[in-house]
Amino acid sequence: MQSILTRGASRAKLRQESRLTGFLVNAWLLFFAVFSVVPMIWMLLAPTKEDAEITNRHPLTFGNSSGYKKAWDNLLFFDDGVMKQWVWNSIWYTACIVIIATITASMAGFVISASKLPFKRAFLVSTLVTMLVPPMALVVPIFILMDKIGLMDNPWGVILVASLYPFGAFLSYIYYTNTIPKELYEAAKIDGCSDFKLYTKIAVPLSGPLISILAFFAFIGNWANYFLPYILLPSSENYTLPIGMGFLFYSTPAINPAVGATSVPVYKPEIALTGVFVALPILIVFLLSQKRLVRGMLAGSIKE
Amino acid sequence: MKKATLGSNRAMWVMLTPYLLLLLAFGIIPVIMAIFEVPHESRTNPDGGWDAFKIVLSDFRLLPAVVNVLGFIAIYLPLTIFFVILMSLMLDLNPSKWKKYLRMSYIVPAAISGPVAVLVWYVIFSPTMSPLKDVLSKFGITKSEDVWQTKNLVYLFAIMAFFNIAGSWILIQYGSLQTISYEIIEAARVDGCTPFQLARRIKIPQIKKYIVYMGVLIGAGGLQLFVEPQLLNTGVYVGIAESWSLDQLAFELAFTNGDFGGAAALSLVLLIPTLVGALLVIFKTDMFEETEVSRKKVQE
Repeated sequence: MQSILTRGASRAKLRQESRLTGFLVNAWLLFFAVFSVVPMIWMLLAPTKEDAEITNRHPLTFGNSSGYKKAWDNLLFFDDGVMKQWVWNSIWYTACIVIIATITASMAGFVISASKLPFKRAFLVSTLVTMLVPPMALVVPIFILMDKIGLMDNPWGVILVASLYPFGAFLSYIYYTNTIPKELYEAAKIDGCSDFKLYTKIAVPLSGPLISILAFFAFIGNWANYFLPYILLPSSENYTLPIGMGFLFYSTPAINPAVGATSVPVYKPEIALTGVFVALPILIVFLLSQKRLVRGMLAGSIKE
Repeated sequence: MKKATLGSNRAMWVMLTPYLLLLLAFGIIPVIMAIFEVPHESRTNPDGGWDAFKIVLSDFRLLPAVVNVLGFIAIYLPLTIFFVILMSLMLDLNPSKWKKYLRMSYIVPAAISGPVAVLVWYVIFSPTMSPLKDVLSKFGITKSEDVWQTKNLVYLFAIMAFFNIAGSWILIQYGSLQTISYEIIEAARVDGCTPFQLARRIKIPQIKKYIVYMGVLIGAGGLQLFVEPQLLNTGVYVGIAESWSLDQLAFELAFTNGDFGGAAALSLVLLIPTLVGALLVIFKTDMFEETEVSRKKVQE
């Protein structure tokens, strides 16, 4: 049977309901679709307005095309332009995590699927346990570890911890088990292929769909991650965008008037622009990768 | 012909090592270190020792945090599961090309999480800024403080989490419905099944495994509640959600009170039920039975 990771999900149309039921169902589906996009539209429009206009004008109106530039310039007044550093940090931390997590998980999945190593079952169980135990139970212990080994406030602390990708290893195991027959490996071995070449010359060239799914889940899981960098990276120059956005919440009067007036022009349009930086990449990746999301998640619970 | 021996050599170990190191370093060793951290002396446990467990379990903030998180999950989990199944069944009723745009719309809130969710929901429930201000005024909400009260937080966080995750799961469960064979659906239709009967007797039983899987992942994720209450408490309405969730309490013990022994003890207390839950899911459900986790499969 073909793996769900590589299977198309098409099916012939079936009309299953009366016209009235169909109308009501479609009306509800449409209503929920509109409701789903309104918050994002508000956030995309907010930086085009002045702070006062956000309250005074209709929430879903467009302000001024120069609003984004103005909001960005204002953000650069905050803490000597640390915003640029936060954007860069988010990009390079996430890129490193996606690359390391994808490669290590893919290799591990291949080995679990193709090898006869001892402790294979124990290894698979420990991967599943790590996948299912909520990370919160491990965050304080990880902080203690990082403190002891001197990786506190070091981006590599976050990158390495976040690169542990048990869901990815499990997906890779399912993928390689279901899509590459063991006979192929055995034939290659007879032809003199080493185990390392089995991976690089046979498994990797057949792993296009898997790699894109692994990278997708690694990206969406880490671009907006808050808890881990919040705990491991206390210096503001090491913040990622989500941590920086939280920092703006409690150090400017944009959302919290209790902070009092400051000379830094960071108000709601500027906070909304930071929100756009956090949310838009995830939105774009989600919209481009719907099939990867569905196939990846279904494969994670597969029984074929 | 010579039978090739697969994967028992050094190359396989070399390829496994990077992941194995990460698993050991950040999955297993931190737990061992936490166990050693517990008996250290601290302000709340000046004599040190394993009393740290007793102290943390009798902390006056623990029970409210447990009640908050369980209350949140009790609303969020059934709401999300029911709604996701309903929506995916509705989408599956009469598949047509235009509905792909609806599915794309549903996924939009998936990008609104953490601090972005706090900002967006702060605005949504603000009578002066909200795109839904007319609806709010119909409910008699004239100022944000009518909504943002400690007693309402369990519902507010459930709504935030629901909108963040529902769209992705609608897509996933819609995808799972597409794996049901056309012949089964057609046979049921020929036998006179109404859409409701079709959903109840054919479709839901066919995707039951995926629904359980969704429940497990949503439930485990629900325990992970930190950024929303923390940001709300420190950056929007100061004091509204002090030590509201278990994550916040662990954070506060470690970083505000400097009680790492207590924080480690709390982490271990939380780890045990989640570990038992994970092992039950692995060994007592059929979720992973076709993998080599199952002894049957290993013997095949």
